[in-house]
Amino acid sequence: MKDKLTKEEVLHVSRLARVGISEEEIEKYQVELKKLLDEVDKIKEVKNYDEELLIAPYDHDTVLRKDESGEMLSNEEIMKNVPASIGNFVEVPVMIND
Amino acid sequence: MTKYLDLSIQQINELLKKKEIKPIDLVNECFERIENSDSNSFITLNKEEAIKRAHELENKEVDNLLFGLPIAVKDNIVTKNLRTTCASKILENFIPIYDAEVVRKINEKNMIIIGKTNMDEFAMGSTSQTSYFGVPLNPWNKTRVPGGSSGGSASCVSNRLAFLSLGSDTGGSIRQPSSYCGIVGMKPTYGRVSRYGLIAFASSLDQIGPMTRNVYENALLLNAISGHDDKDLTSSYREVEDYTRMIGEDVKGMKIAIPNYLVSDIVSSEVKNKLMEIVELLREAGVTVDFIDIEYLDKAVTLYQIIAMGEASSNLARFDGIRYGYSVENPQSADELYMKTRQEGFGKEVKRRIMVGSYLLSGENAKIYYDKALRIRDDMRKAFKDAFKKYDLIIGPVSTTVAYSLGEGLDDPLKTFMDDVLVIPVNMAGFPGMSVPMGFNKEHMPIGLHIIGDDFEEALMYKLAAFIEKKLNLNLDPRGGK
Repeated sequence: MKDKLTKEEVLHVSRLARVGISEEEIEKYQVELKKLLDEVDKIKEVKNYDEELLIAPYDHDTVLRKDESGEMLSNEEIMKNVPASIGNFVEVPVMIND
Repeated sequence: MTKYLDLSIQQINELLKKKEIKPIDLVNECFERIENSDSNSFITLNKEEAIKRAHELENKEVDNLLFGLPIAVKDNIVTKNLRTTCASKILENFIPIYDAEVVRKINEKNMIIIGKTNMDEFAMGSTSQTSYFGVPLNPWNKTRVPGGSSGGSASCVSNRLAFLSLGSDTGGSIRQPSSYCGIVGMKPTYGRVSRYGLIAFASSLDQIGPMTRNVYENALLLNAISGHDDKDLTSSYREVEDYTRMIGEDVKGMKIAIPNYLVSDIVSSEVKNKLMEIVELLREAGVTVDFIDIEYLDKAVTLYQIIAMGEASSNLARFDGIRYGYSVENPQSADELYMKTRQEGFGKEVKRRIMVGSYLLSGENAKIYYDKALRIRDDMRKAFKDAFKKYDLIIGPVSTTVAYSLGEGLDDPLKTFMDDVLVIPVNMAGFPGMSVPMGFNKEHMPIGLHIIGDDFEEALMYKLAAFIEKKLNLNLDPRGGK
């Protein structure tokens, strides 16, 4: 069994997670991520199990709350933590080039 | 020395009622102790607001046992207008615009929030060392970790900097630091306490719970924070009981099981020996204690990793540098904004987990790992349920060891998961679990007993915990310790 991921595999997971990594970090992640993935791979050893799923451990029916308007937040509150804004607009990089 | 932080909540309540003291006296004592402490239990203090609130309460009737008590809140629970960081650079300057449901409830009881406690970044860790704001210290020995992720909430209560605190537990994060710091910590049944306003790590495992100096005060705080909440889809409709009601009752005739896995070779002998002393004590009191097998316990860490990392990668996708939180300057594209913001904003433990989680949920892997984990998870819950048909409660150690040295195992990505091997199954299955001090090792570091109940059996767990607490009568004030 190989003891580390390839450089391409590390770049693939970094891309999936939208977490940038530096050239120097790649080598470290090759080993660390492999250790974690080997551990989760142990699930393959379990052969006997029921088909039923447990997504979250609660037993009541999920009921949506009534569709009534409640407490409202002001524009000012919503914009309070926005890192970059112009007036009441959230500023983002150009998404579509002409 | 302290005047008020040594007194019980009932004693404080009497003094407040007789107007011999005011809430401000309690607040002042807490801040005096916090400011003279080097334990780094807090990320943000709420001094100005707390003082204001204490003065406001002077004109109010003392209407409940928790009235006027200073409380510390873990920094992943949002507090309106009070910085909430999750111990991460990415939320370093985040000021919430609403209160979590538990915060609304503790305000309703007229408690006073004195600050936000230190923790592992996004609750990912078992030592509190992944905090962006430095590690909180263990009051029993400052060269040791306080445990995690609710390390600040445990150390501030243990060190008598606050009367009580709130923590959160996804895979042991209330119970393990409670064990390491010698306090009482309860992870309630999934759905008992609203998660509204708890910054999500793994939504199907997370639960907020009380961390206190003793069992009775723990039950009181659980009374205050429990209940249905329309804002949390998984919140239980079950009525809130008085969780103190069985405290003091005789334990004779109770049936208790210890899973063999929880006393296997993974547990250190000093912890195992302490547990065996408890078994003796219980048997002498007329309690039946049997050793049993529960299937799948040895697979709990693997299941936990798949479910917790998968859910974390999805929950933490919201940190995109656009609406709140840290954001990289002058990004040239949306892609650069996401990739660099998250590279610079998250710490290494969080990044590792998001990367692995994204991989586990991608394409076919979702079926191979996540889907299969959910099936085995269901089997594990059923195995526990079978045990609860014959036994009232399950016990074992909280942790395989006592608190270890700062820096130990930091570079091992698996250690933090293995630390929680004994407490993780409880989150997977949704049951309540608590840590209650059961003694010390020869270096005088505290050891916690793990009590696991069937769904919504918290009152019964407190009954057993209170019996053990009374029998052992330990001195749990670290200032008299090392």
